[in-house]
Amino acid sequence: MSKYIPGQPLTAVVERIEIQKLRQGDNLILGFSIGGGIDQDPGQNPFTNDKTDKGIYVTRISENGPADVAGLREGDKIMQVNGWDMTMVTHDKARKTLTKKNQDVVRLLVTRRSLEEAVKQSMGKKQ
Amino acid sequence: MPVDTFANMEEKLWILEDLNMMYIRQIALSLQDSDIQKKIDHEIRMRDGACKLLAACSQKDQTLEAAKSLQTCSTRIMAYMSELQRMKEAQVMQKVTRRSSDAGPMEDRLPCKGKVAISDLRIPLMWKDTEYFKNKGELHRCAVFCLLQLGGEIFDTDMVIVDRTLTDICFDNTIVFNEASPGFELRVELYSCCSEDDYSAGSTPRKLASKLSSSLGRSAGKKLRAAMEPGPCSPVSNGGAGPLLLPVPSVPGPKYHLLAHTSLSLLHVQDSFRTHDLTISGNEECSYWLPLYGSMCCRLAAQPHCMTQQMMNGCLKVKQLGGDPQSWKKVYAVVKGTSLFCYHQQEDVEANVEPAFTIAVNKETRIRASEKDPHSKVQNICISNQYGGEEVTHSLTTDSREDTHRWMEAFWQHFYDMSQWKQCCDDVMKIEMPSPRKPAPVTPKQGSLYHEMVIESSNDLSTTVSDILARRMQELELRSHLGTSPTWMSVFEENSPKSTVRPRPCTSRLSGHSPCIPHRPPRSPLSPHRCPQLSLLSSDASLTSDSDSHCSTSPCFHRHGWPEPSSNFPLGSSSPCRLRPRTLSLDAKLSTLRGRVYGGGGTLQCPCQPPPSSLLTPFPISSCSPRSQRSTQTTLSCSSSTSSNSSSNSEGSHSLESSEGAPFSRPSPARRSLRNLKARLDPRNWLQSQV
Repeated sequence: MSKYIPGQPLTAVVERIEIQKLRQGDNLILGFSIGGGIDQDPGQNPFTNDKTDKGIYVTRISENGPADVAGLREGDKIMQVNGWDMTMVTHDKARKTLTKKNQDVVRLLVTRRSLEEAVKQSMGKKQ
Repeated sequence: MPVDTFANMEEKLWILEDLNMMYIRQIALSLQDSDIQKKIDHEIRMRDGACKLLAACSQKDQTLEAAKSLQTCSTRIMAYMSELQRMKEAQVMQKVTRRSSDAGPMEDRLPCKGKVAISDLRIPLMWKDTEYFKNKGELHRCAVFCLLQLGGEIFDTDMVIVDRTLTDICFDNTIVFNEASPGFELRVELYSCCSEDDYSAGSTPRKLASKLSSSLGRSAGKKLRAAMEPGPCSPVSNGGAGPLLLPVPSVPGPKYHLLAHTSLSLLHVQDSFRTHDLTISGNEECSYWLPLYGSMCCRLAAQPHCMTQQMMNGCLKVKQLGGDPQSWKKVYAVVKGTSLFCYHQQEDVEANVEPAFTIAVNKETRIRASEKDPHSKVQNICISNQYGGEEVTHSLTTDSREDTHRWMEAFWQHFYDMSQWKQCCDDVMKIEMPSPRKPAPVTPKQGSLYHEMVIESSNDLSTTVSDILARRMQELELRSHLGTSPTWMSVFEENSPKSTVRPRPCTSRLSGHSPCIPHRPPRSPLSPHRCPQLSLLSSDASLTSDSDSHCSTSPCFHRHGWPEPSSNFPLGSSSPCRLRPRTLSLDAKLSTLRGRVYGGGGTLQCPCQPPPSSLLTPFPISSCSPRSQRSTQTTLSCSSSTSSNSSSNSEGSHSLESSEGAPFSRPSPARRSLRNLKARLDPRNWLQSQV
């Protein structure tokens, strides 16, 4: 994933994932766990080679949960949630944005290494 | 001005209003359109109600809401009236043109209507730093809401109170307009009203201003301004537009002013979130001013009817070109979206049975009428598509010429619709129907951003204390290899009653009185010996033995700056193997707090270990028994449940069953705040949260 340079716009190949929240009693759950944030230690992020990346990553997907069904994968970096940026947020802000009680659906923009590689490969082929 | 003149003016306004109403009624009658008349009457009644409510209620929230309804009603009334006038004009024009030209078949094709939905409206604000630092503390608040207008439909969003603690104005409503044409113009208007605490002082000049503004002199000026404004209805500050239409009787109370507006159309429609520019009216001097960033983010989706409804259906005979000339298949065909669905029989459509086959009808499809079939007198319709480089043509035939004509007409209409709705016809965009929502809970007054840092102590003091203690203990551990427990820890140790069990696997193995102490030295940096502490939550002795045997193999714990559970100390001081029950005592809270933090971090282990499946086996938390009923602890088992699953830990299976019962639970808010605070305080975390 492209390295973030402060002040420079970031480009990434993203996939759009729409997750329908599942209602469990009083809670609306998505079925995955997130890690990371600008207030977290990025050196402990096992999903990225760039150990300064403070983005929000998907660390675990509950099997057959809403996120799994929607196509979210472990290791995905979440770039946007319902229009809100997730590349420069604290961990708690990310969690809160995902778990808003009045929203039944979250639309994510996620990026993963395989996407970038696929694009590179296809571009390489054309050349 | 003397009061009599005011009263006089008001009377005149009321008379004008009555005259206007009569005029409107006349128009409606002549148009023989009672629909709009009813709507206008309804809105006028609502408006009167809102005025009365405004005059009667004293609570600020209520007045703001009432003022908002008033604004909405006025806008709606004006929209209906303009529509009436337009209809009347059209009727008059028609009469004129009918005389001049004959009724030629000038039927221009009309595109189909569709649903347009706007949701997740978000308007960012741009507060200056002086707002935070120099401000004496009095919050300058504004009440804002959005009016959305498309065609004749006007909707308002909920009202949001905005002050400098908010970074964005968010409207959570999803607004769906049902009959929109592709050339729609969705006008979004942001109204705001200053909501200071005392109305009496601040609003006297405003009341005067509103009285003055509703005098005929001002309204003439307003008419000019209204004429220059692009929008069809541009309610200015007193809610009235030109003098010929109903001026709103001035009512004491809060008044909303237009702060910003924008217009959205078909080219802004997309299946994702986009940012649009806002035109801001007003300046810093206005009381209702808010520092808008100048843009608005929202999701504008459209579902044209041609994509969601059956545009045409009927019986057909279909044959693929190049096939056997006699192989005409009889089908019941439905045109919907970008395909022609062919079912074996009509009942299949309702039964949701898969169609026999589907022919694409999209922008690249070519349809033409072929030459007359020699056998029958009926023309065939040929549909050609490119399927991956190959051209495939299907022939359709019907029973009669009229049918063929109807089908051709339907196809032309469908193509026309798709060309008009453009990008909306590529794929069906999802529109969530706003579910009937319970009235939003009254949120408590927000403190400043900095208040978020305050320890939210729940009802009992012990929570706060446990937090402080947790921090303290962390410092203690990290600093030294501790030999003796701090004296104060034993106090908590003694007091805690026993209700749930917690094993001390390693300590039990080691036995002896001070089991934990020898563990300590190798522990910094946190060694695998930590793992027994992680199994704070499990209760089975068998579980613990299992975890213990594996604890030495967990490699990656050294990363964590997790504080050593204080429970080492108490156990050291008293019987080591005693399985300490857990309650909501201080000590319990401490342990659960830490346990959860471990659990969050523990999950981290799983992905970073190269062959995850094998290394997950030793992970003790996975075998946590959710016997401890609290949702917090099931979180831990849940967060590691994937590891348990993959490791097929036999011990884990017991707990797995119960953990699967609540696979997606989430910690309760109080615990979460504790945990979050703790995580926030420790800079060496890589926290994970379950959503």
